[in-house]
Amino acid sequence: MGRRELKLLESRRLLTLLLAGVFLWSLSTVDWRGPLIHTGGLGAFLDFLASLFPPELSPGFLGLALSASWKTLAYAVAGITLAVLIGFPLGVIASGSVSGSPRMGLGLAVAVRLILAAMRSIHELVWAVLFVAAFGLSSMTVILALALPYGGILGRIYGELFNQVPEGPLRALRASGASPFRVLLYGRLPMALPDMLGYTFYRLECAIRSAAIMSFVGIRGLGYEIQLSLHDLLFDEVWTLLLFMVGMVVLVDMWSSRVRRSLVS
Amino acid sequence: MMGNAPAFRLFRGRRRPMTFVRASLYGFVVLAFVSWGYILVVTDSGAADLVSAKTWSNAGNFIRQLIGVDSPTQPAYLVVDRWLVTGRLALDTLAMSVLAIVLTGVAVLPTFLPGARNVSNGDLGGAPSRLGTLFYHVLRLAFTLTRAVPELVWAMVIVFFLSPGIVPGAVALAVHNYGVVGRLSAEVVENLDPGPAKALRSAGASNLQMLIYSIFPQALPHFLTYLLYRWEVIIRTTVVVGFVSAGGLGREFRLSLSFFHYTDLALLIMWYLILVIAVDLLSAWLRRLVTGKG
Repeated sequence: MGRRELKLLESRRLLTLLLAGVFLWSLSTVDWRGPLIHTGGLGAFLDFLASLFPPELSPGFLGLALSASWKTLAYAVAGITLAVLIGFPLGVIASGSVSGSPRMGLGLAVAVRLILAAMRSIHELVWAVLFVAAFGLSSMTVILALALPYGGILGRIYGELFNQVPEGPLRALRASGASPFRVLLYGRLPMALPDMLGYTFYRLECAIRSAAIMSFVGIRGLGYEIQLSLHDLLFDEVWTLLLFMVGMVVLVDMWSSRVRRSLVS
Repeated sequence: MMGNAPAFRLFRGRRRPMTFVRASLYGFVVLAFVSWGYILVVTDSGAADLVSAKTWSNAGNFIRQLIGVDSPTQPAYLVVDRWLVTGRLALDTLAMSVLAIVLTGVAVLPTFLPGARNVSNGDLGGAPSRLGTLFYHVLRLAFTLTRAVPELVWAMVIVFFLSPGIVPGAVALAVHNYGVVGRLSAEVVENLDPGPAKALRSAGASNLQMLIYSIFPQALPHFLTYLLYRWEVIIRTTVVVGFVSAGGLGREFRLSLSFFHYTDLALLIMWYLILVIAVDLLSAWLRRLVTGKG
């Protein structure tokens, strides 16, 4: 007991030292010679803050913001549905729970987990930039770029959830002669489904943000309008769009947390 | 078949709570159909292009150019010099991510306690005060506002104020992650076991002592763990933020792409992947240190 506590203390001290050292190093890489703030940057910042009172509220602009929000939502929903379609089968394989021979199942699971990790390691916008260079700009390219990293994360989580279900019911199913596929369908899937749903809904909120920044490759939506308004220095319009963004994320967050709460209780 | 029972129970058994989930599920399916309808019919979907031979031969060309098959010069990723030059940028990018995570931590540390409902309303000791309630609402609003807006949009705004380089990128990453980590940490405090705090209270501890000796140490490992998890997300996003803040790999990535220096692009992607893998491993190791299981 005493020795374990000592070790804990040591690892904590090591951690503190590491974090402090790394922080100092990161500060040393900043170029402190030039001014950190633009000439006029402070003025622009105050301008930006002042533009919140009030934001642009003309009916015409509100309509534009609403239609931009819808576009962003549509991309997010399309991306997440494709991600579910990709992530679900990969998650099943990654859990290693469906296979006749255990050895082949394990090999396949490891391979799929590597693929999932590769999909996740590249940010959706980097995928989008690469896909646009390869396939040209279209909404399908961008949705594919969204669906890859999201499919990667969903596949990993689904796989973990399949493996976390209690063994008892599965054993009962196997004892009654169910095939691995049946065990999955009637055992693992129904038991993991609530958590899978909850997690997918949580990811929908992230997908909205990701869809918004697809404006960078030229996709219409909230990010696109924000870019245009920033370009024209119309900060009051920027605030309106930011508030629509916040409103949409808050709504989806409320929805998804209520889904998760109902699933738990 | 009787194996059907668990699925059946999930959707029919507990009547009231499940109806909301079911309605949400149906709602989502409708939303998905409408969204796909919009994308396939209204926007320039390019779905037809994805099955055309020309698109795939273009994509093949792009990959060949990334590898540098037909390039007259040596591919950048086979030149030691190019590795060193871009390595400097990779180091900048890593610094950006560290700076971002430190800024996030420094901002969240003093604000996540007053941002927790059970601290502000005095459940964990102390009397509820109007100031505490005000603080709570202001902080929650700040968490929501910063979290809802993606890093890249913050970066687009922040480059108006800060000189280009790694600092605006780090600040943009920190602003978004302030909301993410702040909210998660405040929720940890809200779900804390109040036992230790109450024990201190009954031993005569003041409010401040309770915060410092019970609540804070209980919440700290969770806070550090979230911060380290976010570091993994941040390192993936540094390149994206660098597109507009002109710092690290992101800037070079954009330039190589627009000048068609595709083998340079391949080299930058390699550095990006090296950074992502390194940070994933480092973060996992540090998280083990935090929980004391290292």
